[in-house]
Amino acid sequence: MEDNILQIINIILANRTKNKLASINPGMDLRNDIGFDSLDLAELTVRIEAEYKVDVFENGIINTIGEIMDTLKAK
Amino acid sequence: MELFFRDISRNIMITWDQLLNDLGEGNAYNPYCMSTNYYHVFRHIITSMLSGDEIILLDGDFTDDELVKLTGFHEFGKFVKPVDKTKFPIPGEKQKLIEQLRNTNNSWKITLFTSGTTGLPKKVTHNFNSITRFVKFFENSPSSVWGFAYNPTHMAGIQVFLQALLNGNSIVKLFGLSSNDIHHELMECRVTHISATPSFYRLLLPCEISFPYVERITSGGEIFDKGFVTQMGNIFPKAKINNIYASTEAGTLFTSYNDIFTIKPEYENFIKVDHDELLIHKSFIGQSDILLNEWYNTGDIIEILANDPIRFRFLTRKSDMINVGGYKVNPIEVEEAILLIPGIKDVRVFPRSNSVLGKLICCEIVCNDELMDEAKIRRFLQSKLQEFKIPRMIHFVHELTRTRTGKIKRT
Repeated sequence: MEDNILQIINIILANRTKNKLASINPGMDLRNDIGFDSLDLAELTVRIEAEYKVDVFENGIINTIGEIMDTLKAK
Repeated sequence: MELFFRDISRNIMITWDQLLNDLGEGNAYNPYCMSTNYYHVFRHIITSMLSGDEIILLDGDFTDDELVKLTGFHEFGKFVKPVDKTKFPIPGEKQKLIEQLRNTNNSWKITLFTSGTTGLPKKVTHNFNSITRFVKFFENSPSSVWGFAYNPTHMAGIQVFLQALLNGNSIVKLFGLSSNDIHHELMECRVTHISATPSFYRLLLPCEISFPYVERITSGGEIFDKGFVTQMGNIFPKAKINNIYASTEAGTLFTSYNDIFTIKPEYENFIKVDHDELLIHKSFIGQSDILLNEWYNTGDIIEILANDPIRFRFLTRKSDMINVGGYKVNPIEVEEAILLIPGIKDVRVFPRSNSVLGKLICCEIVCNDELMDEAKIRRFLQSKLQEFKIPRMIHFVHELTRTRTGKIKRT
C-alpha cells in the first residue's frame, strides 16, 4: 500500500513540475514536508478514492502519510 | 506600534506608521495592479483612493494569455505615471488617513474581473459608494484584528480589506498558509474576525485547540450546512457565525446566521424570484460589461421559506460554473484552452466532488497523439490558466460522455 501511495503522490508532484520523492514514511506531513497545497490535497483524495473507494478526508483534513494508511486500513 | 498588516509567509510586518511612510514615498502610479504580495496590492488600492485615480485589479497569478484576453495587454509598465502629491497630500497620521479614505471621491473607480459565463471573465467596475455599501463604519473603532483569507483582488477580499482599513484595524494574512501556521497566527495575533470560504475553515480540521479571541466568523462563496456550524462552534467557542451572500457584480448583499437568509425590509424591493432564481435590481449592480436589463439574473436557485420578512435558503447554481473551494471556474474557458493543444480532438470538463474543496476540475480528452500524457497537458495549461482552473484528473477516452440530447454532460 505504501508503494501505491508513493506512486499517487509522485503523480501529483510531477504534474505540478515538482521533484518526485524516493520514499515516504508515516510521519511525513503532507503540507509541511511534501509541500502540498489545498488543490494538491483535493487531488490526492480524488486519486486515492478512485483506487481504494475510500474518501480519506471525509472526517476532516488528514495531515500525515500515517493517517492516510490508518484510514485505509480501517475501512 | 499598531499593526496594519502581517504576512508570515513573506516575513512581512507593517505598522500603520510604516504604511503612512510608504505612502508618502510612493511617487509613481500604475492603474493596473498585479502582484502576489498582498501589501503591495493594499498600498496600491489606498494610493488610488487618495488620488482618485482608477485602479484595475488583476490576479497575481494570471497567465500572459489570460491578461491579453482580459485587458488587451500582458505588460503594463507603459501605464506608469508620476504622482502629483501637491493635488492630494498624504496625511501624516493614521486617523487623518482613515478620515480622508472614508471621504474618497465618488468618481474613484475600482475594476475587477469575475469568472464569466461565456468563456471570458467579465469586467465589473464599482465606485466608492457601491463597493462600501456594506462596510460598517465605527466612530470609536474597536481594535479588531482581521484574519485575511481571500485573494485581495477578488470581491470578497476587497470587502474584508475595506472593512478593516476604514476602521483602522489590523490585517493578518491566513490565505495559503499551512494549518499549523494558521493556528499560530490566530493565537499570536489574537485574531478577532475571520471571513473565509467553508473550504478554508474545513482545512483547519481536525483541530484540537480552540481560539477564544475570535469573536466572529463569516463564511461565503459556497453553501454550508448545520454540521459545519457545529464544527466551527467547537473551534471558535466565543464566535458568532454568519453566512454572507455576495457577488462580484453586486458586492455584499445579505448575511445570515446559519444557512437561512433574511431580507431586510429596505431591500425587499431590490430582489425578486423568477422560476426559483434570485434576481437583483440593476441599481445594486456595479457598472459592468454585461448588458443589463432592469433585473440581473444571479444564476442562484433559492427556496423561499417565509414571507414578511422574506427568508430563503440557497439550493444550487443554475449555470455550469464549478465552485472549487469558493473560486468559480467556467468549464468552457478550460475546454477552450485545452483545445489549443495540437493533437487534442475533443474535451469535456466536469466537476468531481471531494471533501477538501467541494469540487475539483476533471476532464475527458479525445486525442489522436499516442505520446500525449497528463503531465504534458498540465504543463501546457500552466501557461494558459490559473492553477485552480487546471484539471487535476485527466482521462483519455475514445468518445466523450454526452447526455441523451447529445449535449456535453457536465455532472
